[in-house]
Amino acid sequence: MIAELRSIPSSDVVKAPQAVPLLSVDGLKAYYKVKLFGIDREVRAVDDVSLKINRNEIYGLAGESSSGKTSLIKTIAGAIRPPLRVVEGSVRFAFKDGERDVYKLSPHELSAIRWSHLSYIMQGSMSVLNPVRRIKHAFADFALPHVSAKGGDFTSLVERHLKRLHLDPAVLQAYPHELSGGMRQRVTIALATICSPEFIIADEPTTALDVIVQKGVLSMIREIQQEFGSSVLFVTHDMAVHANLTDRLGIMYAGRLVEEGRTRDVFKRPLHPYTAHLISSLPRIGDEAPKKGLEGSPPSLADPPPGCRFHPRCPLAIDICRREAPPMVEILPGHRTACHVAQADPARVRPVA
Amino acid sequence: MRPNLLEVEHVNKIFTRGGFVSRRVNHAVNDVSFSLAADKPEVFTIIGESGSGKTTLAGMILNSLPPTSGQIRFRGKDLREIRSRRARLEFMSHVQAIFQNPFDAFNPLKRIDRYLFSAAQRFTECRTSEKAEERADEALHKVGLSLAEVRGRYPHEMSGGQLQRVAIARALVSNPSLIVADEPVSMIDASLRMTVINLFKKLRDEFGVSIIYITHDLATAYYISDRLIIMQKGRVVEGGDARTVLAAPQHPYSIKLRQAVLSVDDAWRDSSFTGGMPAIAT
Repeated sequence: MIAELRSIPSSDVVKAPQAVPLLSVDGLKAYYKVKLFGIDREVRAVDDVSLKINRNEIYGLAGESSSGKTSLIKTIAGAIRPPLRVVEGSVRFAFKDGERDVYKLSPHELSAIRWSHLSYIMQGSMSVLNPVRRIKHAFADFALPHVSAKGGDFTSLVERHLKRLHLDPAVLQAYPHELSGGMRQRVTIALATICSPEFIIADEPTTALDVIVQKGVLSMIREIQQEFGSSVLFVTHDMAVHANLTDRLGIMYAGRLVEEGRTRDVFKRPLHPYTAHLISSLPRIGDEAPKKGLEGSPPSLADPPPGCRFHPRCPLAIDICRREAPPMVEILPGHRTACHVAQADPARVRPVA
Repeated sequence: MRPNLLEVEHVNKIFTRGGFVSRRVNHAVNDVSFSLAADKPEVFTIIGESGSGKTTLAGMILNSLPPTSGQIRFRGKDLREIRSRRARLEFMSHVQAIFQNPFDAFNPLKRIDRYLFSAAQRFTECRTSEKAEERADEALHKVGLSLAEVRGRYPHEMSGGQLQRVAIARALVSNPSLIVADEPVSMIDASLRMTVINLFKKLRDEFGVSIIYITHDLATAYYISDRLIIMQKGRVVEGGDARTVLAAPQHPYSIKLRQAVLSVDDAWRDSSFTGGMPAIAT
C-alpha cells in the first residue's frame, strides 16, 4: 500500500553525481534585521546553509517551527522582503535554458522564471484561491501571464493539464468553498504545475489535510515529479511523510542545516543527535516502548547559544560543542552532518529514547 | 456502587441552518454512547477526521453545547441540571479542557501566571494571593515547570510545548477528575510532543485524572490510550481496547484510516529495514 509512493526504491545505488545540480545554495545567510529604538536586532533565520538539489529528485527539508525552514525556502524562491535580507551567499539555479543567480536577477527577470521554471505549492489552499472567484479565474490570474496560449487555447491547455492529473475539468466552474480540502489542495498543485516547472517548492502541502486524503495528494506530487522530471523541495515537519516520499533529506535546527543524506540513510543511521532523537521518539503503531521527549526548548534565533546550537539539549555535548560551531562534513558517502561528536566517532550517535 | 465518572448516552447534536426556504440539517453527532468508570482513571481517545463531530462531542461533554437529544451525566448528574453559577463552577472545577493551539488559548497581552492565579481563586479555597501562588506552583510542578520560571512572562516568551504545559497546569489547579484535551499536540513541535504526551500518562498514573484525548493521529493514540472510539460523520464506527482496535481494525472506515497512516517502518518494507529502532551498524 505505502510503498507505491516511492516508485524508485531508495535502496538503489547512489545516483551518478551530476555535473551541475539544478539548485546550488552556497553559504547562504539570511537575517531579519530590525532597528527598534536605535537598537539593532538580528534574527539569524538562515545561517550558513549550503545544499544542492539534483534534477529529478524530491529533497525533503525537516525541522521544527522557527527552525528557519520557511525563511530558507522563501530565500530560495527569491520571495523575501525586508526585514528579511540576504547577508551572504548565493542561490543559483541551472535551468535547461541557462543558469540564474536569484540574487543577481532584476525583478523583471525574476518574475519571468517564476511559475514557468520555479513554482510554489503552499500550505493553505483556501488562502491561495480567491473565495469569491471561480477556479478558472484563479488559473487565469496565476498562469495566463506565463504561457503563450490565450483565450480558448488557454482553457483547453488548463483542461488538458487537469485531465493529466486525473482531475475533472468541471472543477474549473466551482468556487473554492464547494470543493473539499483535499480537492482544493489538488487544484492548488495543478495550478502550481501548469507550466511544467523544473523546480517545485512544496511548503507543508499536506499538513492541513486529513490522513486519508494526505496519501492521495502525496502520490500526486510524486507522479507529477516523475512525469515532468522536475525537482521538488518538500518541506514538512512530519517525519513519516519524509520517510515515505523524499529521496534525500535535510534536517534543520535553529537556522542551520545539521544533517543531510539519502532519506533511508538518515532514518537508518542518523548522524546527528537531534535527528537520532527525532527518529527514535516517533510513536509507531505496534510499538509500546516508552518514548522520551527532548528536554529544553529550541533556542531563540535572536540570541542563539554559542558553538553548536543544539548543545544545551544534546546528551552527547562535549567541551568543544560549547565553543565552536561544527561545520557540515561528509562522514559517509553522500551523508553530511554538523556534529563534533559524530565527526570524531560516528558510532557514538545513537537513538536516545 | 459509585456512579460512573462520565456517562454519554445516545447523544445527538443536530445543527440547522437557514429558514423556511432552504433548511439544511447537519447531524454532527449521531447516537454516541460511552462511559468512563470512576475508580479507574484512563486515557479515552476519540479518533476522527475533520468534520467527524469529535470537537462537537467535546463541547457537549464540557457542557458548553447542549445536546439535541440524549443525556450526558457526570458522576450521575445530568449536565442539563447545572444551571446556577455555583453548580457551574463546581462542574468546571472537576472537568477541565485543553485546546489545540496554546497561542490561541492565552491572551497575548496577559501574563500567563495570571491565568493560574485566577483559576486557583475561582475554583479552589485559595482566597489569598499567597495561597493561590502556592497552588499554582504545585500545579506547575506536576507538569515539570515551576512558578519561578513562569512568573511575569507573556505567552510569546515561551515555546509551544512549554505553553501547552502551562495550559495543562492551569487545568490541574482545581484538581479535576476529567480533562478533555482537543488535539493537544498537533501544534507542538516534534521534539517537544512526546513530553506533553508523556505528561498525560503521568496524570493518569500518578494523579488519577481521566483524560479524553481527541486526535486524528493514530500513532500517538496507540501510544497513550487505553480505550478508543473511531468516529466518522458523527457516528461511532468502532470502539474498544485501543491496542486491539488499532492492531486489527474491523470496520471498513477504520481499516481505511489505519492503512492511510504513513509509517516510517513501512517505507522500506521491501528492504532489510525491519522496523523498531533505527539500527546502528558499526
